[in-house]
Amino acid sequence: MNLLDGYGMDTITMAGPLEAKLEAMKNVGFSQVMLMARDLVGHPGGVKAAVKAVQNSGLRPTGFQVLRDFEGLSGHLHAYKVDIAKAMLEMCAATGSKVLLACSSTSRHATEDLDLIAKDLKKLAMMAIPLGIKVAYEGLSWGRTVNEFTSSWDVVCRADCPNLGIGIDSFHIFAAKTSLDAIEDIDPDRIFLAQLSDFMWHETPSFEERMTTARTFRVFPGEGVHSDQLADLVLRLERIGYRGDYSFEVFNDDYQQLPLETVAERARKSATWLHQDVLHRSAPLPSWTSSPQRFAV
Amino acid sequence: MNLRTIDREAVPEMPNRLGIQGIEFIEYATNRPQALGQVLEAMGFRPVARHRSREVTLYRQGSMNLVVNANPDDARVSATVDGQAEISAVAFRVQDALKAHTRCIDLGAWSVASHAQAMELHIPAIHGPGGTRFYFVDRWQEFSIYDIDFKPIPTVDQHPIAVEGMSYFGLVQYIGAARSADWLSYYEHMFDFSVIPDEERFGILPKGKLMKSPCGQFLWQLIEPDPWMEADETPESLKRVGFGVQDVAQAVQTLKTNGVEFVESKQLHPEDRGALTRSALGSVSFELVHQSVKE
Repeated sequence: MNLLDGYGMDTITMAGPLEAKLEAMKNVGFSQVMLMARDLVGHPGGVKAAVKAVQNSGLRPTGFQVLRDFEGLSGHLHAYKVDIAKAMLEMCAATGSKVLLACSSTSRHATEDLDLIAKDLKKLAMMAIPLGIKVAYEGLSWGRTVNEFTSSWDVVCRADCPNLGIGIDSFHIFAAKTSLDAIEDIDPDRIFLAQLSDFMWHETPSFEERMTTARTFRVFPGEGVHSDQLADLVLRLERIGYRGDYSFEVFNDDYQQLPLETVAERARKSATWLHQDVLHRSAPLPSWTSSPQRFAV
Repeated sequence: MNLRTIDREAVPEMPNRLGIQGIEFIEYATNRPQALGQVLEAMGFRPVARHRSREVTLYRQGSMNLVVNANPDDARVSATVDGQAEISAVAFRVQDALKAHTRCIDLGAWSVASHAQAMELHIPAIHGPGGTRFYFVDRWQEFSIYDIDFKPIPTVDQHPIAVEGMSYFGLVQYIGAARSADWLSYYEHMFDFSVIPDEERFGILPKGKLMKSPCGQFLWQLIEPDPWMEADETPESLKRVGFGVQDVAQAVQTLKTNGVEFVESKQLHPEDRGALTRSALGSVSFELVHQSVKE
């Protein structure tokens, strides 16, 4: 049992080739990785080579991102998105990822009818079942209709499909200033992904500010000004019984130009902070403590 | 006071939006069709026709059609390991095949591209668990679909009677760990299958979750690996076919004289409720299940 086992980095945080990212994560002790479709498609050896690199790394995929603007469309737009979703699901399955992240739609062409949104997500979940994939639906803080975890949870409940749950992203919760009290209304078994990141601004009132911050200036948990809130969020998730993974969804332009080991080390520190200072979990005991000899004394 | 009879008892109307009316055929894929043919013949099936353009043979007994697909161009055939035969498709009889297919695609099923040759039937299909397919057949009343794609084998009885009146009873699907809820939801949503309570079981292998087709003509059993089988990452598959039969003991006796072997251990052995054949070719076994009322 490794201290970092429940935590993982996102490939989006680091620059460079996939293999180098995976190695940097592994070297600091992570055992899982959140993959991005671009990692596979942009691999010089193609998708197959990228899948092989993930398998060879021995890192377990936390999940696969990201399907955008899927729900609420009709006619040819819907048919187009279904094709995109299928390709994403196939890549997700190829990497051995069990979770596909789908973000709430930002499209002006999409309906605001929550039941129709739920219907489309149910279809996506059905498409995912034969492939053994769960769909984590995340409310982007600049989503057109669904932009808080409370509304993404509402939609997931309406769709009522066992492999459709929500993805929690701390950034969007803090950016939208959603009350954390609503965490208690969520079934912990239907949270398929918890993505954590902090950021440096206190306020992000407009959608534009949220987007820019989200895409360029997130930092690791504990590095920003929302650390207390983030600790509160994680503790609440623990309290309702969430035992899934925590993945660091850190988009940061500065980290994109730092050596990979430097970035991975910051992630490791962040995970250690969460594990020991926030969750107060102890470091794993040395291996001799679990050997049978201790009973013989 | 409302005395409408419909309110007196809670009789749920089973929706059957595809108009499913039983199983038209079950397909096996194998690169050793003769070896599988021997196994099937021992079970009472007879080869009755061959496909016009592909290496595919139709077997039949009683109401059961069974197709052996050995077409080397079919990826499902080349994917079979070491000649192990696998159930590669189940064809449902439906009210309207095109409507059924369209509805399933709308609900999120993956369509299968047709490879029908000139003058052959295009049977619409969707992907099932693992590499399997579900076909939709609607022309099962006015004429036989096999007359179009298959040529009868000369001098062979086209309608051999079934051993002890056996008929398709159901399929057993092996699923991944903690996947029961997903598949229950899938079959409910796609095909209007309904869950049978855990107390109600048939045959001698009661494990897992059991569903019933909306026509009531066949069952679908979903079996997860046991919790201690942590490393069981075998792909999901359709594992075996169950045959319904009135007199299990008599059927077992008849099949034994044909050379079929049954699992006979302390825990599992032929009894009045059912029986399980020993695995042939490494993967093919059949289950007999007592069925009191025959259609």
